[in-house]
Amino acid sequence: MKAIRRERGQEARPWLKEGSWGWLRGVARAARGNIAFILLITIGLLASLLSDVFLTPQNLVNILSAIAVIGIISLGQTMLIIAGNFDMSVASVLGFAGIVAVATQRFGLLPCILLALLAGVIVGAVNGLIVTRAKANPFLVTLGTQSFVYAIALMATQSKTLYSEIPAFNILGQGRIGRIPVAVILFLVLALMLQIVLRNTVYGRYLYAIGQNKEAARLAGIPVDRVLVSTFILCSVLAALGGIVMTSRLNSTVANAGFGFDFESIIAVVLGGTSLFGGSGSALLTVAGVLVLGVLNNTTILLGVPYEGQFVVKGAVFLAVVGLDSLVKRR
Amino acid sequence: MDRLLGFLARRAVLSILLVLFAVFTVLQRSIFLSEQNVANVARQVSFNGIIALGETVVLISGGIDISVGAVLSMAAALTMKLQPFGVGVAVGAALLFGLAVGVINGLLVTKIGIPPFVATLGSMTVVQGLMLTYTQQQPIPGHVEWFTVFGAGSLGPVPMPTLILAAVAVFCYWWLNQTRSGRNIYAVGGNPEAARLAGIDLDLYWFLPYVFSGVCAALSGVLLASLLNTSTIHIGLDTPLAVLAASIMGGASLLGGRGSVGGTLLGVLALGMLSNGMDLLGVFTYYQIAIRAVILVAVVVIDSFYTNRIQTRARRQAHAA
Repeated sequence: MKAIRRERGQEARPWLKEGSWGWLRGVARAARGNIAFILLITIGLLASLLSDVFLTPQNLVNILSAIAVIGIISLGQTMLIIAGNFDMSVASVLGFAGIVAVATQRFGLLPCILLALLAGVIVGAVNGLIVTRAKANPFLVTLGTQSFVYAIALMATQSKTLYSEIPAFNILGQGRIGRIPVAVILFLVLALMLQIVLRNTVYGRYLYAIGQNKEAARLAGIPVDRVLVSTFILCSVLAALGGIVMTSRLNSTVANAGFGFDFESIIAVVLGGTSLFGGSGSALLTVAGVLVLGVLNNTTILLGVPYEGQFVVKGAVFLAVVGLDSLVKRR
Repeated sequence: MDRLLGFLARRAVLSILLVLFAVFTVLQRSIFLSEQNVANVARQVSFNGIIALGETVVLISGGIDISVGAVLSMAAALTMKLQPFGVGVAVGAALLFGLAVGVINGLLVTKIGIPPFVATLGSMTVVQGLMLTYTQQQPIPGHVEWFTVFGAGSLGPVPMPTLILAAVAVFCYWWLNQTRSGRNIYAVGGNPEAARLAGIDLDLYWFLPYVFSGVCAALSGVLLASLLNTSTIHIGLDTPLAVLAASIMGGASLLGGRGSVGGTLLGVLALGMLSNGMDLLGVFTYYQIAIRAVILVAVVVIDSFYTNRIQTRARRQAHAA
């Protein structure tokens, strides 16, 4: 089916053929490889021309502190997308982990954080087991668990807002070292760690192999199912960590705190240049993608685009990048 | 025997639900079978039913459309907000909007080659953004009293939306089973390679279902706006999940090439009766969300067990040959 789509693609899309249109494909390919930097520079230039606030240090710090939570979640999503999967449940894991963290605060600071992360482990394990055992569509399965976890979060909170009571809990989200928020440092450290894991460990190489060709990876002796389950778990744990950071920043949490973060994290990964077809990408690219998203959000706000319009801009940019990716890859 | 087991296994959720309702209705005849409740269920399922039929055609062609919920809410908003220019203009604009989104989805999938999931996820976000911008997140009340007849009215004992659902279902059945283009949609979904060798224009029959699905979603939005005589930003949020669950429950497959009008209608009916039953029994909303999620996952898992078997068998045959 893939082969045929490719073959048909040649006929139906003359601009993909080698020859007179070949240069266009070369341009597309070059653009695809550096999409995050092209976007970052273009949007940055536009923003600094159109608004005199954009380049002030305060605004740049604002951009950084806004991206920490989505960044941490996107790192987990990056691993899954490299391995050719998705996780839509991150949105409600984020809210649920925050609720667990606040609800168990009477046991102390460390236990409540560990329990919240454990919630992530459980959801991730369920996702991973269903997707690998049943070979089911990861998108629909995680959409299902998203709605299930959301229901549990609603039951637990009765749709009320929960408030954090331990002051130390708020350091993670509100503390600063110099001018840089602690959460941003956490995000960057995690990104660096993930980059090392992806580049220099067997586990990391397994992810790329699985994303490129699952069947070949299996035949090469890679324990595909076990690797995928552990990746789903890691992704959920990172989403839970994102939830903890967000709760710590806002000092409170609600069941739908993570609304929209599922799609947002996928957009961030794609904007960085990681292909949705799997098998390529890196943590550093995702950092770039998260930065693009942060600058994009910041710019639309500075330019006075209404909040609602941001969805249109983000969706359109997403489609453009994915379209470019599809044209270049034709898979 | 194998085929019979496969048939039942693939519809296990549907069968269980239907048996459950049979038992339920016998036990609680007075509530479930009251004329009012039957009409109520028939009306409630019509809105998702129309969308599910569009979704089924997309699934048969081997694609998937998750932008339907966003299209529904935008169509409802257009229907309400443009009413001052005349009801015809408003409804026409809403349906045209659905058509346009369908055309864009189809082009993204066939001409650019974006995987259907991803393409419709993107268009969903754009349409949602358009809807939020257009409505300013405010509910829009209707101004034309007689317009509510399409959603809230009845012709004799039959609710109007149910009649429209029936018309769409008849058209769909005719299209899929009696026309060449309908059979071609099954062909490009079931085995694109064979379809291409048979001289079928793959892109055309991957494209058309998205247009149909977009129009169906918009039509449902128009009817829903007419029923509520208002439009809010909250409608359509769980539509993609509900219609996918209904279609797959009724025999459509994410693998393509499978699905039927009758099966999808049964799936929609089963989900509608489930909601109705839970409402009547006073099951709290939170638990309803959880139960629906479990049903969706169960349906997807059963479908994938089945499709894996088909794929393994095909691979074995290819190996033998």
